[in-house]
Amino acid sequence: VLHATRPLHTTQQCLAPVPPLPEKGGEVRHGLIPEEFFQFLYPKTGVTGPYMLGTGLLLYLLSKEIYVINHETVASFCILSVIIYAVKKYGADVAAFADKLNEEKVAKALAVKNEAIKDLETAIEQEKKEQWRVEGRSYLFDAKRNNIAMLLEANYRERLLTVYSEVKKRLDYQVAMQNLKRRKEQDHMIQWVENSVVQSITPQQQKESIAKCILDLKALSKSVQAAV
Amino acid sequence: MNLSFFDQFMSPHLMGIPLILISMLFPALLFPTPGNRWITNRLTTLQSWFLHLITKQLLTPLNKNGHKWALILTSLMTLLLTINLLGLLPYTFTPTTQLSMNMALAFPLWLATLLTGLRNQPSASLGHLLPEGTPTPLIPALIMIETTSLLIRPLALGVRLTANLTAGHLLIQLISTATTALLTIMPTISFLTTIILLLLTILEVAVAMIQAYVFVLLLSLYLQENI
Repeated sequence: VLHATRPLHTTQQCLAPVPPLPEKGGEVRHGLIPEEFFQFLYPKTGVTGPYMLGTGLLLYLLSKEIYVINHETVASFCILSVIIYAVKKYGADVAAFADKLNEEKVAKALAVKNEAIKDLETAIEQEKKEQWRVEGRSYLFDAKRNNIAMLLEANYRERLLTVYSEVKKRLDYQVAMQNLKRRKEQDHMIQWVENSVVQSITPQQQKESIAKCILDLKALSKSVQAAV
Repeated sequence: MNLSFFDQFMSPHLMGIPLILISMLFPALLFPTPGNRWITNRLTTLQSWFLHLITKQLLTPLNKNGHKWALILTSLMTLLLTINLLGLLPYTFTPTTQLSMNMALAFPLWLATLLTGLRNQPSASLGHLLPEGTPTPLIPALIMIETTSLLIRPLALGVRLTANLTAGHLLIQLISTATTALLTIMPTISFLTTIILLLLTILEVAVAMIQAYVFVLLLSLYLQENI
């Protein structure tokens, strides 16, 4: 049925966007009677026309006893006054509450949209920052290159030092060995000389040297006594 | 139209055609279908908010199985509320003043809760017949009492609603008759009676809403026990 009512080439062939609802309902006077009725009667009977009509109708109904006043009349008076009082007092609040519910609904959706927009804007800012950072790339690379060169240099020097100290250790070892050998030879020679001298001293020589020493001592003691 | 006190409670007929069905279905006309709009007009917004409120209130104590009853409980509540409130208008017929209608609503729904309980968890549902912590000598008597109370439930539901509404409407009619009769004799007393009638009307509005709520609330409680 839908396809038949949708002319192919003369309309936009689409039901969206849905036409908006009217902002306000139809105007009513006294909460019941549409304004159009008053406008309809205005040319012939003026402003008071509809009221005269209403009063006349009411009196007709009452006088001809088409409407009989009975207990329901009083009950209807009560319930209608309660209803009218409630509407007059709380009507605006209820309408505001309904509007607030709708507002909250729209606000929630708008909040989602705004959040998304904000997030995207932050992302754009960060992207711009990244692009600015790219410009400084060459400085970064130079600094890094310098760093690496220094590291390599330091490492090389360290290794050089290691080599030097190793070689020195080896050479020191050789020198120490030679010194030790020389000293050992010297000690040995001294020992040997001392041993042979001590051995060569015969007992005869020992006695003679001891007698000589005693004579020398005596002569010395005589000279010393004289000096004192 | 000379009305007696019973005309308000007579099921309406038009030339022999019973109009009870129309009067029971009329409230459905007063609730517009929300349709496809996201932002609706004030009436639809308030109606959706109200239905949301009732559903949340009724279904919070129920477990997941009980959520199957959401539609019938909410629509029952709305129907009873509307029928009761519309009955307060003059010259209207209130279907809920008829015991037949209220029993027809209460009995099958109560029986449904009972059979659900007996089918799915028979021992737990029979266990409700004995409250916890009763002294041993009292057990037989208590079981009889609880069984009686269980079987009385649909009767109580139906009669409660009928009696409340019928009594309220009858009172309104009687006091307004008194007002009308006294109007010519003693106008001051008539005026005082009108004040009483106003207060009674406010009470009746409250009772109409409360009775609908109580009916559905009790049904949801019976459901809680059994599901």
